[in-house]
Amino acid sequence: MPEETRLAEELERMKYEELLPVEKKLISWSIILGIVLLGILVWISYTFFPAEH
Amino acid sequence: MEEKKQGVGEDWLSFWLAIVIFVISLFAFTSTDPLGWAISTKVWTNVSKAVAPTGKAFQGVKGEITKIDGNKVTIKKADGKEETITVKDVTGLQVGQVYEKKGISGFTSLVLTYLFLLVLMGIGAALMKANVGKFVIGFTVVFWLSYICWLIGHYAYIAATDAKKAGVPWSLKLTGEAGFIVALLVGLFIGNFMPGLSRFLKEAIRPELYIKTGIGLMGALLGIKSAEAFGLASAVLFRGLCAIIEAYLIYWALVYFIARKYFKFSREWAAPLASGISICGVSAAIATGGAIKARPVVPIMVSSLVVIFAVIELVILPFFAQAFLWKEPMVAGAWMGLAVKTDGAAFASGAVVDALIRAKAETAAGIKYEPGWMLMAASTTKLFIDIFISIWAFILAVIWCAKIECKPGEKVQAGVIWQRFPKFVMAYAVTFIVMLLIAAPNAPKIKPVESQIDKIKKEIAATEKQLPTVTDPAQQAALNEKIKANKDKIKGLEAEIKGPKTTMSQAKTAAAGTNALRVMFFLVTFFAIGVVSDFKKLWEEGIGKLAAVYLLCLFGFILWIGLFISWIFFHGVKPPVVGG
Repeated sequence: MPEETRLAEELERMKYEELLPVEKKLISWSIILGIVLLGILVWISYTFFPAEH
Repeated sequence: MEEKKQGVGEDWLSFWLAIVIFVISLFAFTSTDPLGWAISTKVWTNVSKAVAPTGKAFQGVKGEITKIDGNKVTIKKADGKEETITVKDVTGLQVGQVYEKKGISGFTSLVLTYLFLLVLMGIGAALMKANVGKFVIGFTVVFWLSYICWLIGHYAYIAATDAKKAGVPWSLKLTGEAGFIVALLVGLFIGNFMPGLSRFLKEAIRPELYIKTGIGLMGALLGIKSAEAFGLASAVLFRGLCAIIEAYLIYWALVYFIARKYFKFSREWAAPLASGISICGVSAAIATGGAIKARPVVPIMVSSLVVIFAVIELVILPFFAQAFLWKEPMVAGAWMGLAVKTDGAAFASGAVVDALIRAKAETAAGIKYEPGWMLMAASTTKLFIDIFISIWAFILAVIWCAKIECKPGEKVQAGVIWQRFPKFVMAYAVTFIVMLLIAAPNAPKIKPVESQIDKIKKEIAATEKQLPTVTDPAQQAALNEKIKANKDKIKGLEAEIKGPKTTMSQAKTAAAGTNALRVMFFLVTFFAIGVVSDFKKLWEEGIGKLAAVYLLCLFGFILWIGLFISWIFFHGVKPPVVGG
């Protein structure tokens, strides 16, 4: 079977799945953790690993 | 069904290839130059003068002797430039005489480089259980076509950063690394318009193998650089680590959310897509697909798209960075590592941005940055991304199995972290650490003593200038005594750093050889990336939806969040300046 048809078919066959609460949690926790860590890591970088500024 | 022979994987093979070359290079510590025959290419207006061996011991030299100082002989060459060389036996040499040392020709050096790589990669092909005959023929074509591109890229009109100095009226100022772009374009032409040749070369078109080997070798050079600027190197390493933690947590979650919420992708598609677009292209898509037990077809389809967009990024982003980020070179380097997907394209864009920004800084502001630091920022972020893929895939597997959908009998084991760990990273770590350990105790001793020597030399020059103006014999004697004392001081200081200087010179000889071969691996990577990038995929039925998510995420926020994170961690961090 040619790959062209397979990709189109695969995408067509894809069923809609509701975004589960656990997925929402994974997304939001990941972003929140990212933002909190951003502050902490920037502080560590500038305090303990200074470079020429 | 025919059972396919399983050989060594490309990941492990690239580790061993880099280690073998590195071990050979270490013979430099026995006062030889084991890889000095490897080719180096200069910006040219006369092609016959473009190529020469890397090691001075292999280069021929001819000129009039202008100075003899111990066993150091300074000669004036035909082009008017002076060069100081070390001669074992100076008896019989006099100022004014013509000195000539025969070396190997540039063409011989090129052929030796080709043969060395051919044998090495041929053995590699046999270990991979590839078709060695086809590989050897394919590699030969890839090597020579790539090298012609490299040579074209070094033409003064394209590469010279200072047109006048190069003897041409104008130049595109792209540096010799323009050869990478030429190789990529030729590869793209072959991949998209010459399907017959592309199929013929297939066995040798292995961009991941080439770039991973090149990266393994790069560790040696960066180890020495880090020893010379330890504070900066540790800051780059730590900040690279910070940057990728951010990228994982923010990128992945956002892409997954957009793919699921607005493009209605299923979990099976959204997770590999999020990893492919946001983290690291092919390997991340495959690792994530495995972690959530997606059907193999899903990450493969995602990967085919990732490869194409990575090439588009590789062609556009370095030039964009040169235009807007040349005052923040390390931000630009880290940005390439964070924004450009697939190992090949990311490291390659790091190399191009390094060259482009150095050229721009030199022509626009007269700042001559040491080469390699932007590439180091790009490769550090990319390597940490690669390392974390295995951990991220493990975390996803645990979450999927525990909270989303666990296949019957499925168990998540920590062993998969090692299975998915990119082994080529270990070659980078080994070459980096070994060189750092060798250079770190020696490098810091040299610079302060050398600047002390410079100061004393200036003092001597001033005293010598003063001498003819003094008529009093007592004063003359005092000045002569001062000059002698200062000269003795210099001798003492030079003896103090003789050991460290010898070790550093040997380390640099070793690294120069591995770096010459590293450039060749990068070069064939560019060519191979071009050949494997089949843009016809973009016209494939059904690709629109995938491409839409990719375009939206990539140009909508991945590039800009990557730039923001790179900016936060790397702004104001500047590479060392040559001679600074």
